[in-house]
Amino acid sequence: MAFLEIDGLKKRFGSVEILKGIDVDLEKGGFLVLVGPSGCGKSTLLNTIAGLETITEGEIRVDGRTINDLHPSKRDIAMVFQSYALYPNMTVAGNIAFGMEMRGVPAAERQKAIDKVAKVLQIGHLLQRKPSQLSGGQRQRVAMGRALVRDPKLFLFDEPLSNLDAKLRVDMRIEIKRLHATTGTTIVYVTHDQIEAMTLATKIAVMRDGEVQQFGTPAEIYNNPTNIFVADFMGSPAMNLVPATIGGNGSGLSVVLQRDGREPISLPLANPPAGLSAFQGKPIIFGVRPEALTDPEGAERNASNIATADCHIEVIEPAGSDTFAVTNLGGKAVVARLRADANIQPGTVTPLAFNLTKALFFDPTTENRIL
Amino acid sequence: MSAVTTPARQDTGGTSAKTLNRIVIYGMLALFALFYLMPLFVMLVTSFKTMDEIQNGNMLALPRAPTFEPWLKAWGETCVGLTCAGIKGYFWNSIKMVVPAVLISTLLGALNGYVLTKWRFRGHTLVFGLMLFACFIPFQSVLLPMATILGSLGRFGVTLQNATGLTFGLGNPTVNLVFVHVVYGLGFTTLFFRNYYEAFPTELIKAAQVDGASFFQIFRRIMLPNSMPIFVVTVIYQFTNIWNDFLFASAYAGTGDSMPMTVALNNVVNTSTGVVEYNVNMAAAMIAALPTLLVYVLAGRYFVRGLMAGAVKG
Repeated sequence: MAFLEIDGLKKRFGSVEILKGIDVDLEKGGFLVLVGPSGCGKSTLLNTIAGLETITEGEIRVDGRTINDLHPSKRDIAMVFQSYALYPNMTVAGNIAFGMEMRGVPAAERQKAIDKVAKVLQIGHLLQRKPSQLSGGQRQRVAMGRALVRDPKLFLFDEPLSNLDAKLRVDMRIEIKRLHATTGTTIVYVTHDQIEAMTLATKIAVMRDGEVQQFGTPAEIYNNPTNIFVADFMGSPAMNLVPATIGGNGSGLSVVLQRDGREPISLPLANPPAGLSAFQGKPIIFGVRPEALTDPEGAERNASNIATADCHIEVIEPAGSDTFAVTNLGGKAVVARLRADANIQPGTVTPLAFNLTKALFFDPTTENRIL
Repeated sequence: MSAVTTPARQDTGGTSAKTLNRIVIYGMLALFALFYLMPLFVMLVTSFKTMDEIQNGNMLALPRAPTFEPWLKAWGETCVGLTCAGIKGYFWNSIKMVVPAVLISTLLGALNGYVLTKWRFRGHTLVFGLMLFACFIPFQSVLLPMATILGSLGRFGVTLQNATGLTFGLGNPTVNLVFVHVVYGLGFTTLFFRNYYEAFPTELIKAAQVDGASFFQIFRRIMLPNSMPIFVVTVIYQFTNIWNDFLFASAYAGTGDSMPMTVALNNVVNTSTGVVEYNVNMAAAMIAALPTLLVYVLAGRYFVRGLMAGAVKG
C-alpha cells in the first residue's frame, strides 16, 4: 500500500469543477511533483492535501489514515509556501519554533530542535534576525527549516523556488534534492517549471485543466508521453511536433514530411509502433526531440534506426554547450540540437540525422500517442 | 541675430515664470498656515498673560511677564458651574472614558477586519456594507434611541445591584459613554482594519494554520503584531474623535461629577460670575487640547513606518 493515496479527488467551487477526479499515489520516501501550466489545479490539489481547501468528493490517505476532514495542524504535514510566509514580527528562531510552541513543546526541547535544523540548513548565524533582514535564499532556507523542524509524515512545497533568481534557483534545487536524499522524507512538490519536475521527482503528475494527463517516473514522462500536451510540456527546448503523413511501400512504413518548395522528405521506419499501420496515407503528428535530430557525425552510434535528410537551416543559436539549428518542416519551425563545434551556417542546406527509434507519433484528432 | 537671442529670452522667461509660481505657491501656503495658527497663537499667549495685560494690551502681543498662574488656576481652582475645584477632575473623567473606548473599539475593529478578510463567510460583503453604513449615520439621529437604551441598561443595573450587590458599571455615565463611543466607532475601525488586512498576505494565515495556531492565536500572534501602522492610525483617529466629542458627552453625562473635559470646558467659559478670566479660559482650553496633540506627536511617526517590509517575497 502506498504512503500517500489520492482516490477520485474532486473539487468544485459552485458549478465550476477545479479538480476532476485525481488518482495519484506515492511510496514512502518518494518525491511527487505536480507540474502543469497556470490554472491547471496543481496548487489547489496541494491545498486539499494540506487541508487548506475542502474536498468535494474522493479521499486522501496518508500512511493508511484518511485525512479528508482533519484540520491542517492534525494532518502531520508541513508546508513551504511560494512567498515563504515567514511571520515578519518573529525572529528566525521564533518562526521555526512557532509550530512547536502552538503544540506546547517545552522551551528546552524547542531550542534543541531549532539548533538541529539550523545546523542542517546552515542558518545558525541567522537565528536572531527578522525575516526582513534576510536575502531571498536565506528566507527560503528558513521556510524549509520551519517545515523540517516538525519532522512530519509529509512535506508540501508550493512553488518554493519561483521567487528566486535563476542562479539561486539552481542552487536551492540541488539543496532540496540533497535534503530529500539525506532525510528520506516524503515530498509533494508543486511547480510549473518542467526542469524542476524532471530533476527532483521520483514520480511526476502532469496536470491540465484539473485532470492528470500522465502519471509516472520522469523517464516515462519524458520518453513515453501519452499525448501531445505532455510531450510538448516536458523538455527544453520543447519537442518538435510536425504535421506529417504515413507512407507505405510494401516492405514497410515511412513518415513523410512536407517542405516549402522542395520535394517532401520520406523517412523509412525500421520498427514502427503497431498502431501506426492503420494511419497509412493519413495525417499524423510526428514528434522528435531536438536531441534526436542532429548532425550525422553527432548522431548516436548504436541507434538502430537513423535516417538522414537534407534540411535548409534558417537560424543558428549557439548556446555554448550545444548549438541549436532551426529548420522548417511541415510548415513548422523545427529545432535540431548539434554539437557545440558543429560547422554549420544559416541559409545553407545540411544533412540532419533523425533518430527514429526515439521518434513518437500522435493522432492529430485525439492528440493521443499512437502505440 | 534673432535666431540666437530668441531661445535665450525664452529661457529667462521660463525661469522667472517658475520663480513666480514658487512665490505664489509658498505665499499661499504661508498665508493659510498663518491663518490656521493664529487662534492657537492667541490662545497660547493669552494663557500666559495677567488679566491686566489682557485688558490693556494688544491681543497679539507676547506676554511681558509670562506667568503660569492661569494654568494652575484652570487646573485646580476655577469654577465649573458651582463647584470650584478646577478642571483636573474632568480631565481624568475624559481619560477614564477615552482610553477604554479607544482600546475596545480598536480591538473589536481589528477582530472584525480579521474575520471579514481571512475567515470569509457567506454574506460577508453585506455585513461589511452595513458596518460601513454606520460611518454615515449622523450623531443627532441616534441621540434619543441611544438615551432610551442607556436608560434601560441603567434600570437593568439597578436590578442587578438589588440581586447581586454590583451594578457591573451599568448606569454609570462614564461606562455609558464608553459604550456609545465603542458602538459608534466600530464602523470606522472595522473599515480601517478590513482595508489593511485585505492586503495582508493570506499565506501567513495558512502557514499559521498548518503550524496549529487557533483562530485567536493567529489573531494575537500574527495579525496584531503586524498591524502597527493601521493600529496607530485608528488609535489617533478614535482618540481625537472621542476626546473632542461634545454632543454625546453633554447628552449622556452633561451634569455632575462625571462630565468629561469638553463639557466641563464649556461650563468654565459659560460661568457668568464676576469678570471673564480670559487667561484662565484659554489655559483650560489648551489643557483640553493637549492630549490629542500629544497622541499625534508621540504616535505620528509610526504612520510612516512600513513594518510589513520584507514579510513576503524576495
